[in-house]
Amino acid sequence: MAGNAIELKNVSRSFGDFALKGVNLTLPQGCILGLVGENGAGKSTTIRLIMNTLRRDFGSISVLGQDNTSPAFQSLKEDIGVVLDEAYFPEVLNIKQVERVMVNTYRRWDSETFAAYVKRFDLPWEKEFKDFSRGMKMKLAIAVALSHQPKLLILDEATSGLDPIVRDEILDIFADFTRDETHSILISSHILSDLEKICDYVAFLHKGKLLFCEEKDALLEEYGIFVGTTDQADSLRPEALLGRQASGYGGVRALVRRSEMPAGFPVEHASIEDIILFLVKGEAKA
Amino acid sequence: MKGLLLKDLYVLTRQMRVFLLFIVVFSVIPGSNMTVFAVVYAAMMPYTALAYDERSHWEQMAGMMPYSTRQIVVSKYILGWIFTVCAAVVAAVAGVIETRFGLNGSSPLIAGLSLCVGIIMMDITLPPMFRLGVEKGRMFFIILMVLAACSSATLVSGIVESSATSTLVPLMTLALPVGAIVLTAISIPLSVKCYEKHLS
Repeated sequence: MAGNAIELKNVSRSFGDFALKGVNLTLPQGCILGLVGENGAGKSTTIRLIMNTLRRDFGSISVLGQDNTSPAFQSLKEDIGVVLDEAYFPEVLNIKQVERVMVNTYRRWDSETFAAYVKRFDLPWEKEFKDFSRGMKMKLAIAVALSHQPKLLILDEATSGLDPIVRDEILDIFADFTRDETHSILISSHILSDLEKICDYVAFLHKGKLLFCEEKDALLEEYGIFVGTTDQADSLRPEALLGRQASGYGGVRALVRRSEMPAGFPVEHASIEDIILFLVKGEAKA
Repeated sequence: MKGLLLKDLYVLTRQMRVFLLFIVVFSVIPGSNMTVFAVVYAAMMPYTALAYDERSHWEQMAGMMPYSTRQIVVSKYILGWIFTVCAAVVAAVAGVIETRFGLNGSSPLIAGLSLCVGIIMMDITLPPMFRLGVEKGRMFFIILMVLAACSSATLVSGIVESSATSTLVPLMTLALPVGAIVLTAISIPLSVKCYEKHLS
């Protein structure tokens, strides 16, 4: 039976004005986990903690079966491809030079794969990195992350700054990557439609706390959108009504738990975006 | 670690061409002061590399790669050693040639002692650079560099121009290499600790 690619148990880290509190998160091997949250919710902090570039205060983190504070984790990074929210290559390097650096960094660097991605993404070999657009920078970072035969991809806002066509193509590449059941992806993004498209699991961070980490299909099955009158919404039990908003003309649009809804109340499909937005903002009474 | 060094060499040779040319020019100008100046200039290369790393946020990227903190730190020391050794060798060779042509060329001894001074300066200034970052560590670095460059240039030239039988000559020729080795052995683990603190 496949294990977990990433496992966080009760992980906490506090800064002066922000704290990540008691995060429990699991990414099963062969799956894609989407990490969602507003700016400053703790997504990048979580990723830095997973990669052990930030010391945790409490809890334990294992990555590909290895405690990330163990000495062996250093060499395990060969198996992890990371794309950060910005591509942080020195600005005077061109792709040829980036490749030479990576050849001497990763033992399993595959120059042919890299060249294929550079061609596929239409990136210039000779142009200096400082002259790249944001989209080009992210494409280069993705090409690098995919070219050393990783088993785990950790992507922090990797699709932001890309146009919808390229984004779609890259999401397909990520989906292809997990066809190998030993491959897994942790992806954080603001673009919830992207996550809904490719993720198996969704984790939602809000102000440093993990509100949920569940299977996407289970979430979509559990939650629904109810559109009706204020009186109808008021009649619902608190277990059924998770968030509500005025929808104009005295109506109410509400996030509900399907299993708790009385018969005769129509419930529509809720997207991941609906669920997240209602959980964060839906407390306001209509 | 080869990847890290390669990255720094690409960046420095692209960004610091004029600076590198200055080092060569200072190395070949007759006079021991210039030799010390050239080697100390070369010893500044790790700080420049660190500054470019900070500017491009490379440290975050390197943290995600299969490099240990120690490798990242040691690569900067090696970078400094490469440039200071090159400057010292150029100065020594130029000094020998200049002396043959009757000029006041720098001796290999001066070049060797200058190399030790450059390494000692790196040993003293790199830990605070790793702890505070280049921006905050800059003032500390500038003050120390100016003081050390002036005093060491005067000291080294004073030693050589004084009597060969002076007790200072054997003392310095022994003390500077030993000092460089001992301080390097202390400085590297200290820098690793400082860098870990800086990152966390």
